[in-house]
Amino acid sequence: MLLVQNLSKSFGNIRAVDNVSFCLNNGEVTALLGPNGAGKTTLMRLITGFYGADSGDIRIDGCDINTARTQALSKLSYVPETGALYNDMTVYEYLRFMAGLRHMSEQGFVDNLVYLSRQLELSDVINQKCETLSKGFKRRTALAGALIHRPGLLILDEPTEGLDPNQKFSIRRFIREYGRRNTVIISTHIMEEVEAMADRVILLNHGKLVRDTSPQELKLLTPDHNIETAFRSVTEEGSGAAQ
Amino acid sequence: MMRNVFNIFCKEFGSYFRSGMAYFMLMIYAVLSMVAAFFGGYYFQLSNYNLFSFFYFQPEVFTLLIPALTMKLWADERRFGTLELLLSQPLGYTELVAGKFLAAWGFCLLMLLASVPLWITTAQYMTLDNQNILFGYFSCLLAAGALCAIGCTVSSFSANPVTAYIAALAVCLLLKVVNFDFILKSAAAGSDLFIRISHSLNFDSHFASMISGQINAGSIAYFIILTLLGLWLNVVSIGYKRS
Repeated sequence: MLLVQNLSKSFGNIRAVDNVSFCLNNGEVTALLGPNGAGKTTLMRLITGFYGADSGDIRIDGCDINTARTQALSKLSYVPETGALYNDMTVYEYLRFMAGLRHMSEQGFVDNLVYLSRQLELSDVINQKCETLSKGFKRRTALAGALIHRPGLLILDEPTEGLDPNQKFSIRRFIREYGRRNTVIISTHIMEEVEAMADRVILLNHGKLVRDTSPQELKLLTPDHNIETAFRSVTEEGSGAAQ
Repeated sequence: MMRNVFNIFCKEFGSYFRSGMAYFMLMIYAVLSMVAAFFGGYYFQLSNYNLFSFFYFQPEVFTLLIPALTMKLWADERRFGTLELLLSQPLGYTELVAGKFLAAWGFCLLMLLASVPLWITTAQYMTLDNQNILFGYFSCLLAAGALCAIGCTVSSFSANPVTAYIAALAVCLLLKVVNFDFILKSAAAGSDLFIRISHSLNFDSHFASMISGQINAGSIAYFIILTLLGLWLNVVSIGYKRS
């Protein structure tokens, strides 16, 4: 589904992403881990076409992000960390706008709207303006907007940031379920989230890919079999070789 | 392509009304245009068979109002983080730019339509040259298009709508300043070539020649080229952000 090869991106003298390569398949939830400034957001922005790469290739379902940009982007959805919404729109208007950008049929939109409103519990706020929503509802509306056309590749930056425990639980369960048939990338700092959702972990440090493994194998790296300790030991030892 | 342009157009055009800005702008436009026509344009003293008093001050009115219409188009996308969301959609930069531009230009058409009652009322009291008046409206639309394109481009350079407004106003005024022959004559110390070049770049003189009823291909081309140049710069500025 997603192929990233020798991807690099610099901002001035700072090498934000340094020769990163990996391949993601359908039916995988992948956690993108790394300390602050490791290059997670830059990597996601490169995959979503917001930034152009200095070198390397990104292919989504065989479509190159540079040469077939719109085809490649039609297969993915991205929810930025800010969970950005158009505040002057109602939830319904926002979802309709997102569906319009994906050229969805009226019936397809209605079906998905009903499904997502139920799954993400948006029915009560569907006619409410986005600016009046609580943080939890904003995150869920942004997620619904990304999922309205059922993308094959879903990229989420800090998906449960600012949510209460109940909301976190339901969003995690939903993402886990969605990831069974699609490809999901989540960027997070919360280790409990990695254990709850991810099948695979890609660990970045100083822009380099330092581990590409499963959460279970990552835990085995330390004697206490704790994922947080493993994360610390890998990221503190500097930029190790990619596995 | 047209569907994407239409979606962006609907979002932006609707945004003017959702935010209430549309009503405010229509009211301000009506007041400014009528004050300019009645008091500045000597509407009651002149024989207004071609509504010259009304059309004469339209560039000034547009210069004040169009930057307000365009200031948020890109600046707000950057300010609220939705640019990241928008650029990860399967849309070409040209479609995005065209949709936003057409929304602002479409609103200018709506503002001009708000002045039609003046045409109807004047027709009660004198015989009008309707063909000339229609061409006057056409000239206003062309001039508004050029100013909208400039405003859109300037808005894409800033994340602050107020800065975008002031900068767009400054650029529009610059186009008008080259109109003042006395400045040019004193500055260029009689250089005919300089004066001729500045006249060919002059916004007001092209507009004045059009509303006086002369169908001048050069003036029409001037506004079309200015519009296309502004839109091209807008596309380049969006692409530049990606790289």
